[in-house]
Amino acid sequence: MKLRILLADDHEIVRRGLRSLLEKREGWEVCGEASDGREAIEKALELKPDVVIVDIGMPNLNGLDTTRQLLQLDPHFKVIVLTITDSDQVIREALDAGARGFVLKSDAARDLVAAVEALQNKRMFFTPRVNDLVLAGFLEKGHAVSRTEAPKLPTLTAREREITQLLAEGNSSKEVACLLNLSTKTVETHRSNIMRKLSFHSIRDLVVYAIKNNLIQIELPPPPPKAPVGPAAL
Amino acid sequence: MTIRILLVDDHPIVRQGLKTLLEGRSGWEVIGEASDGAEAVEKAKELNPDVMVLDVTMPRMNGLEACRVLRRQAPRLEILFVTQHDSPQMMREAMDAGARGYVVKSNAARDLLAAVEAVSQHRVFTALNGREATGSN
Repeated sequence: MKLRILLADDHEIVRRGLRSLLEKREGWEVCGEASDGREAIEKALELKPDVVIVDIGMPNLNGLDTTRQLLQLDPHFKVIVLTITDSDQVIREALDAGARGFVLKSDAARDLVAAVEALQNKRMFFTPRVNDLVLAGFLEKGHAVSRTEAPKLPTLTAREREITQLLAEGNSSKEVACLLNLSTKTVETHRSNIMRKLSFHSIRDLVVYAIKNNLIQIELPPPPPKAPVGPAAL
Repeated sequence: MTIRILLVDDHPIVRQGLKTLLEGRSGWEVIGEASDGAEAVEKAKELNPDVMVLDVTMPRMNGLEACRVLRRQAPRLEILFVTQHDSPQMMREAMDAGARGYVVKSNAARDLLAAVEAVSQHRVFTALNGREATGSN
């Protein structure tokens, strides 16, 4: 029987690359694709894949909240998180969310097949940095991951995190209500609660919070060159 | 029409996605890949491609710097940026650096083939999110 994989990434070109990589393996099949977290959840429930690969930085619903929601709906889902950074905070959140694999996007061509294989064999797969962090937490605190720097996100409920992401992405309360099938009034109530809980007074504060907590990701321009590049550099 | 293409992006998985898309076109060939601007400059010299598909943000030498160097080194090479930067300012900078085309990565699957075709014929092709692609001679 084929191993069935669901791919979720907002860039079609990345999904093409992942699909081409994974389908080189005999017996593996990409059974579906999704371009945001909400679509990933719908397709996972519909297609029941053996492995779900989710990018962290997706619009509408990010990969970490997608992972949390998927595992709440069905704890049997096996999720690999794809990320552009393996900062301590992202690692902690991915582990908290219940991911069983953690692969850096830059290393996906090298690590992703090994990660899917690990999950297929009921093991987990993490980058060396995740392993170091988990081990350090275990040695220092006597448990898997140090909680001394707990992420700020748990102060919000799952619904509040979803709404925070959508507002930070520039949606109005009315648009959020439409996306989540809620009334505008309900969204406004959530919005007030979020602002109160976080002691924020402006949408700008909310955007900064969303960036800091990996709810949304921004692309920074390349740094200016350190020295002029001329023909001599050739 | 035969087009020889050099792919430059620091993420192998993105290169793989671009390659599967480009090689779906009969006669188009990805003749090489590079993972940063400096390698792109070296490979352009060695392989003499018709079109370079170039990312902006890369280690060692970014795409804008590479583009400026290549404009002097290989004036016949056409350069097409494929980048995450959905910004008119970045697009202007890329075109000022000597590129012939600019496509946003999130729309690459939609725009890339038309863009490569245009720049290979020395026509300008630019497309940002939410705007119609524009081209001119």
